[in-house]
Amino acid sequence: MHRGRVVVALLAVVIALVLQTTLFGDGGVRPLGVAPALVTLVIIALGPYVETEYHLLLGFTAGMLMDLMGSGTLGLWAMTLTTVAYASSRLRAQFTDSLLLTGSIVFGLTVMGQVIFVLLGTLFGQNLIGDSSLVAKIVLPAVWNLLLAVPVVWVLGLVLSPSDRGWAT
Amino acid sequence: MFPTSGRRLTRATVLFLSLIAIGFLIATFDVRSEGDSVSNVMREGTQSIFTPMQKGVRWVASPLIGFVDGVSNIAGLREENERLQDRIVVLEAREREVAAIEEEVRQLEAIVGVEAPEELPTVTARLYSSGPSAFDNVRYIDKGANDGIVAGQAVIDEQGLVGRVDLVSANDARIRLITDPLVSAGVRIRSTNETGIVSGRGDGPLRLEMFRATEAVYEGDLVVTDGSRFPPGLVVGRIAETADAEVGFVLRTTVNPSARLSEVDYVKVIIGWTALDADLSDGVVDTNTATTTTTTVPPTTSTTVPSPEEEG
Repeated sequence: MHRGRVVVALLAVVIALVLQTTLFGDGGVRPLGVAPALVTLVIIALGPYVETEYHLLLGFTAGMLMDLMGSGTLGLWAMTLTTVAYASSRLRAQFTDSLLLTGSIVFGLTVMGQVIFVLLGTLFGQNLIGDSSLVAKIVLPAVWNLLLAVPVVWVLGLVLSPSDRGWAT
Repeated sequence: MFPTSGRRLTRATVLFLSLIAIGFLIATFDVRSEGDSVSNVMREGTQSIFTPMQKGVRWVASPLIGFVDGVSNIAGLREENERLQDRIVVLEAREREVAAIEEEVRQLEAIVGVEAPEELPTVTARLYSSGPSAFDNVRYIDKGANDGIVAGQAVIDEQGLVGRVDLVSANDARIRLITDPLVSAGVRIRSTNETGIVSGRGDGPLRLEMFRATEAVYEGDLVVTDGSRFPPGLVVGRIAETADAEVGFVLRTTVNPSARLSEVDYVKVIIGWTALDADLSDGVVDTNTATTTTTTVPPTTSTTVPSPEEEG
């Protein structure tokens, strides 16, 4: 059991959350007014390195933390990031050395996460679908995640010992 | 590369579905409980854990943020400088006029025996964090209950209304911005004195609805709070699109917020005024119960309505 690796992964989620709310928060680095979805990116990038069950729990935990620090209904990001983690786990075999494929997965799963959150938010009365910048808030985080995918995947690969990542099933 | 067994895949799928079900139950509970004390305690607890890290990172990252901000804005700095120089000349002239008018008002008040209104007490706070996603219209400030802040108080910057305090802990508080779709405020059009309700749309201009409008509103008209949910006279913004009033129909248009919501660093919380309406424990305004009650509480100095001459 590689519990140490899960702890490191959880630490990565916490760091991503802190950076998301400060460095990429309001008044911070927000190209075109929208920040990258860093927590979503970390959850996606953990796919090849963490066992599926732990990955799902990490996604749920990260989502709950986002819900608790955000303004919306509790549980929405938890469901969203659990779904993203599940999809990422199912696609772990596709995380290869191909930058194009990895980038496509990051972009696609980020868009998927944003869309799921908007739909869930609307379902639970948050009126997110009426947001005047809806398209930008869905697409731009995915674009920034695409650009950040290389350093984030590289750093996670470094700290999570890519040499024996084959243990994950 | 990553072999998977059918048994493990099933376990993972079951866990996935279980977590989704738990998330759904939590969301349902949260909606039904309408932000009760349990969820608020959880939110406050989580925020208090993250606050030291956020403040530390914010402090370390400030130079980097400033550098990136400066680089991205360098092209417009020269033009902005010229514009501001022109603006200074105009404002200096206005300042002289305002001083003369203030003196005149003081004399008139002395004549009719009316005391000059006192300024509402405020607390200056710094924003150190925002919501974790693009859909969160909240900001965290470094002042809380120990500084006299309670839920429901108005938050302003030097330009106008920023939002409302909606969650308070001992040393921190959360602000829900006026752009939040769940926030609305009773307002008055300065030029016509007619009232309406503005509500957030997540981003950008606010939605304005006037149910008993008899006069048109024009682009650039000043919109201020009417004193029902926020202290009266706080600048909310200016009408973005001209709209005509038709008898029997709701006048709908948009308002550009005056506050620099995406750039604000320091804000003031008006601690000397609380809304008369009940049901503000969660800081979310129910548009269905919004009233247009006015009070005699005077506006603050920092975001007060300019005189009609200034509006010109």
